[in-house]
Amino acid sequence: MTVTPAVVEEEPTKKGLSFKLPLDETEMGLIAGIVAAIVVVFTGLPAVIKGIALILAFLWGMDSVRKTSKYGLGTGVPSIGVLATGFGVVGALVGLALAKYGSIEGVAYPAVLVGVILMGVIGLVAGILSNHEKVIAMKIPKLERAMMELGMAGTLIILLECSIVTGSLNFNAVVNQVLNTGLIALMFIFTCFGLLHPYNACLGPDENRERTRMCSVEIVGLLCALLGFVMIILSSFSWELGSIASVTISSPWKLWNGVSLLIFGLAVWAYFFRMFIKACMDEAYETVGTGMIKTIE
Amino acid sequence: MGLIVVLLFAWMLVIAFLAFLACTFEDLESDIGSQSNPNSQVQLAAQIGQVNRFFNKAISGEPLSNAMYCATAGTIAWLLLLKLEPLVPGEEWKAAVLAIPIGVAVAAAINIIFSMSSHCGRTAAQKRFEQPIYLDVLYGHLLPIATHAFMTTFFITCIAYIQCNLGTLSGNPALNHPFALPLLGFIWGITVGAIGSSTGDVHYGAEREFQDRPFGEGKRVVYHGKITRYAGCGVRTQRDIAGFCAKFGGPITGMTFGLIILFENWRSLVGMQLGGYLPNLAASAGNSAVTWAIVMGLIIVIALAVVNYVFVRWVRKKCGPFVGV
Repeated sequence: MTVTPAVVEEEPTKKGLSFKLPLDETEMGLIAGIVAAIVVVFTGLPAVIKGIALILAFLWGMDSVRKTSKYGLGTGVPSIGVLATGFGVVGALVGLALAKYGSIEGVAYPAVLVGVILMGVIGLVAGILSNHEKVIAMKIPKLERAMMELGMAGTLIILLECSIVTGSLNFNAVVNQVLNTGLIALMFIFTCFGLLHPYNACLGPDENRERTRMCSVEIVGLLCALLGFVMIILSSFSWELGSIASVTISSPWKLWNGVSLLIFGLAVWAYFFRMFIKACMDEAYETVGTGMIKTIE
Repeated sequence: MGLIVVLLFAWMLVIAFLAFLACTFEDLESDIGSQSNPNSQVQLAAQIGQVNRFFNKAISGEPLSNAMYCATAGTIAWLLLLKLEPLVPGEEWKAAVLAIPIGVAVAAAINIIFSMSSHCGRTAAQKRFEQPIYLDVLYGHLLPIATHAFMTTFFITCIAYIQCNLGTLSGNPALNHPFALPLLGFIWGITVGAIGSSTGDVHYGAEREFQDRPFGEGKRVVYHGKITRYAGCGVRTQRDIAGFCAKFGGPITGMTFGLIILFENWRSLVGMQLGGYLPNLAASAGNSAVTWAIVMGLIIVIALAVVNYVFVRWVRKKCGPFVGV
């Protein structure tokens, strides 16, 4: 029996940015970050476009979780995903609190990006502190960058989800429709799973990034379908929950946004789930109907 | 209408009973799928050459995965209740009878999706250890897992629904829980998963995996992965482990959770009653109610500690001595 190392370093990739498919981690981060940031700012966009940005942001976050956990965290993978979501919720609340500055009501909220940048800085500081000789000295390679990306991706994801459900990033609207209704629980837990499950489910020495990415997209599809369902039901209610005055800012096509997002989510999920399971079965050692286990002495 | 204190206590007992059932099924679900703690053995087995026919259900730890099922079920049920309750004014329970099972069914479907992706993904990532994907293992375990998860999520969503409407059910709507149904499902899901993970796994391991080892020996590295190989008769799969754990490990886990819920709610209610807060929710009696509740809690904790101490001493005397002490 040969003992193989649990983690195999990937062969060094090409130098510089080439933007050839499949995108490497840096290119993915750049594209996802820019696209998601633009979509977050303009909240009047159709939900399906926000869904596509959500997929990109999740792919970016998944890459950062993978980068952090690959060093040998086994049972720690879920905690990295939850950490990213925690960063995300805090960053999203900061961004929402500042959203009113320089905003065009119901159309664009550029100030929310302050939350994203703040979480990037906090993540960077956390990463430096964890790796620094004199503080925790974990000495995990690339941890600083991965933590920064986790914070930024997490914040973008939570902001995008809020923007999908409320159709705006007005603080009162989000508090009324997302926090008071408890939808934040669904968003929180699915963001966690979208970030942690792909790498956690594919963990092992023969893990490969393409397969892990398929799993990530599949979960975002599921999340989009659920959010679409939420939008369909909520589109028929005006918002007078709690003591805060009614806020009726929402995108005018809320019902159709919901229906299209539901269909988009289900289609993405079905396609990528099939692709993922097929890839697993093809790339496994063997896929057999049944069989006995190998006898060993 | 005044608050009926007896009804409040009765609903508290119902919640404790539902919690007992929920955690029983939660533990069995994680045993069938080898989630959280037992999963390390399944993951390890192939790596040290022990190819096995176990289901590798690595959906993070139990608290998170149960929080996901329960939050999903709670969200769907809450959305359906929003739509359905206005249709049956005065008889809102009819809406709940329809909404809760549908929400829970969605959660169970999501459970199947996540189970399938984690089993296939993890097995494919063990290619170099020659671990194949057995399709009969894959398909044969999905339904038992989803069924047990359905039961867990169903009971937890019922608890969350009762809590949301506790005041209305017992006479004073001011006692309704301030949190929304999805949030309560989330919190309860984390709790049920945490108890199932901490209590249930111990029994899974101690009962089933190392039954023939001396009492208190601990787990030697040489035994790792062995549990995934052979059962009393033939090749072991996890369906027989569920049958085994249903006799003791599952109910004992459920009892742990049920007792926690029972003691916790009982001491707060008794504290409220003794402090004079309960029948009319007198705000002036708040402080004395809290004091009484804390005193009751301390008494319960001390009593449990004493019982534990005596019990462990008795067990060590009867089944000991420990190996290696």
